[in-house]
Amino acid sequence: MYYRINEFRPTKDRPFVLGLPTGSSPEQIYANIVDMYRSGKVSFKNVVTFNMDEYVGIPTSHPQSYHSFMFKHLFQHVDIPPNQIHLPSLENYGEYDNMIAKHGGIELFLCGVGSDGHIAFNEPGSSLASKTRVKTLTNDTIVANARFFNGDINAVPKSAVTVGVKTVLDAREVILIADGRAKAEAVRQAVEGSISHVWTVTALQMHPKFIMAVDEAATEELRVKTVKYFKDIEGTPARIGKLGPKL
Amino acid sequence: MATTRPSRTHSIPTDTILRLTNCLVPVDNCLVSGTLLINSTTGLIISPQDVFYDSKLQPSSTIDLRGKVVVPGFIDVQINGAYGFDFSNASKSDDEYASGLKEVNRQFVSTGVTSYCPTITSQKDEVYHKVLPHLGPSLRSPTLGSSSLGAHVEGPFLNPERNGIHPPHILQKPSEGLKSLETVYGQENLYSNVKVITLAPELLPPSSLPSLPAVLASKNIILSAGHSTATFSQLVNSNISMVTHLFNAMHQPHQREPGIPGAVLAEVSVSKPRFFGIIADGVHVHPANIKWAYHSNPSGLCLVTDAMSLLGLPDGEYVWGNGESIQKTGGVLTLKGTTKIAGSCVTLLECLNNFMRFTNTGIAEAIKTVTKTPARMLGLEGVKGCLEPGADADLCVLEVNGDGSVGVEEVWKFGVRVWEKSGMRRRREGVMELSRL
Repeated sequence: MYYRINEFRPTKDRPFVLGLPTGSSPEQIYANIVDMYRSGKVSFKNVVTFNMDEYVGIPTSHPQSYHSFMFKHLFQHVDIPPNQIHLPSLENYGEYDNMIAKHGGIELFLCGVGSDGHIAFNEPGSSLASKTRVKTLTNDTIVANARFFNGDINAVPKSAVTVGVKTVLDAREVILIADGRAKAEAVRQAVEGSISHVWTVTALQMHPKFIMAVDEAATEELRVKTVKYFKDIEGTPARIGKLGPKL
Repeated sequence: MATTRPSRTHSIPTDTILRLTNCLVPVDNCLVSGTLLINSTTGLIISPQDVFYDSKLQPSSTIDLRGKVVVPGFIDVQINGAYGFDFSNASKSDDEYASGLKEVNRQFVSTGVTSYCPTITSQKDEVYHKVLPHLGPSLRSPTLGSSSLGAHVEGPFLNPERNGIHPPHILQKPSEGLKSLETVYGQENLYSNVKVITLAPELLPPSSLPSLPAVLASKNIILSAGHSTATFSQLVNSNISMVTHLFNAMHQPHQREPGIPGAVLAEVSVSKPRFFGIIADGVHVHPANIKWAYHSNPSGLCLVTDAMSLLGLPDGEYVWGNGESIQKTGGVLTLKGTTKIAGSCVTLLECLNNFMRFTNTGIAEAIKTVTKTPARMLGLEGVKGCLEPGADADLCVLEVNGDGSVGVEEVWKFGVRVWEKSGMRRRREGVMELSRL
């Protein structure tokens, strides 16, 4: 990612527009980015960010809000000016896609994926042409996220504001991070499945520049042939276990 | 009894927001470099995240603390007076008492103690009725200096066998449980102005013992066992979670009867924390006892001074409230003609430095004994004694000396700097000598 930002040579008038996820997979990515920032390899002065989603019904200062997540893991550590940061909210979601367009569209969208194949909060059944909107969370997601709310299902917000599948597809490049066995079925659907709104991640097959970064465990549902094929085209032995270029 | 809280907790753009940068703050048991944001208008510590996301909130100034240690303001839950003012002295007129107290609060803040429980020793009923109305929680204003969190009434329901220097003829038996307390202190005083009650639990009628701590807790009053002959099992079964000046004025641990120390140091769990005050002046309690007490129940230890009004005054003989005399020899206070220890005149800062030396702990760990732990004991966790967003911005800026001891350089109250060492009012060096004895 830092490579893409630097390659772009962003300026004040031509900022690098970055789409950002939250969740357990991106956490390590952010830690790496912060390290790169600290060693002077990347600056966020001319980066504009758009986050994918945010809960509805908890204050932004709540420790589990995505405002808190982003502040804790990325924003407080780097030199990004606060007015270049965007998170969707009940107030701005109608304008969110326009705001992205005004900045020239998203250059690079980083993504995570849910075990049911959702990207952002585009749960199974979401329209693949959707834009930023309010979504009701599925029971599975609420149960999965209860671990962040002291295991209390009732404390988990029941809805969220999220970018649409189309918002992600409109980015010029998408990098998806999936790690762990829990994501293996979603990875199989994304790579070997057919495009379907039941696994919204599959919509990315239509994207002209889409990269998946996975660990060994996340490939376990793939056919051996598929894994071998991607390892083969990856080429260099140093990248065994990674499908896609190093972030 | 409600502690004084601001009328609002969120920040608005017209507030004065200060950023303290380049400071070392205690996190877990280490000092880490960090930035602290405080709202001087509401007097609260605020979250960097809120200021970051809300573009309308801009720090009006940034103060570089050049690597100094910033800790929460100290809390002393047992202090009888200072600067010649005795909280138990009812001989003054109401006006004299009020103005004397005001002056003490202003001076006292320079010791780093930003909140305290003014402590009344055993007195006749009329004394409580006269002084307690002055000693309830202070108004929320940085100009008033150190603030009261509510009075600590140490007596008169104490065991005559462990009276210490409390005159035996003044002591009473709480034969009617809560009603006795309401009568002696005054009902209004009890529920509005009292925060801690030290009593000997074995004196309570058996019917009221199990329920009294909970009844008082519902009014935010802490019951503390002290000047007591209570046994291990009496204390364990009493639901009392606090002990007054551990080891002093109680049975000492015996191989088959661990007494109050055994109960408060061993019978501790996460769901049932127990707290104890301890005087670390090096005289009242042997350093080794402080060390093992801390290692047995580290999250229960609250350093207290039990300091008398003589703190800072010259040596000699002083008359106490009840007409008895106290001999001050250097830092030692004794009841005249005896060897009984009669309180201390040590500062909490000196106790803290003693504690670090006795237990070989660093400031980040030791500071909890004068901040977080007493705040938790009083039910003020998250409000006092911590640097979390939402807590009162009562702060001490400390200098760390070569030997690891600390000194107070600046004191902040409700987000306003109210004292600094290099200013007009210098730290009073003379009051810190006691530990050398």
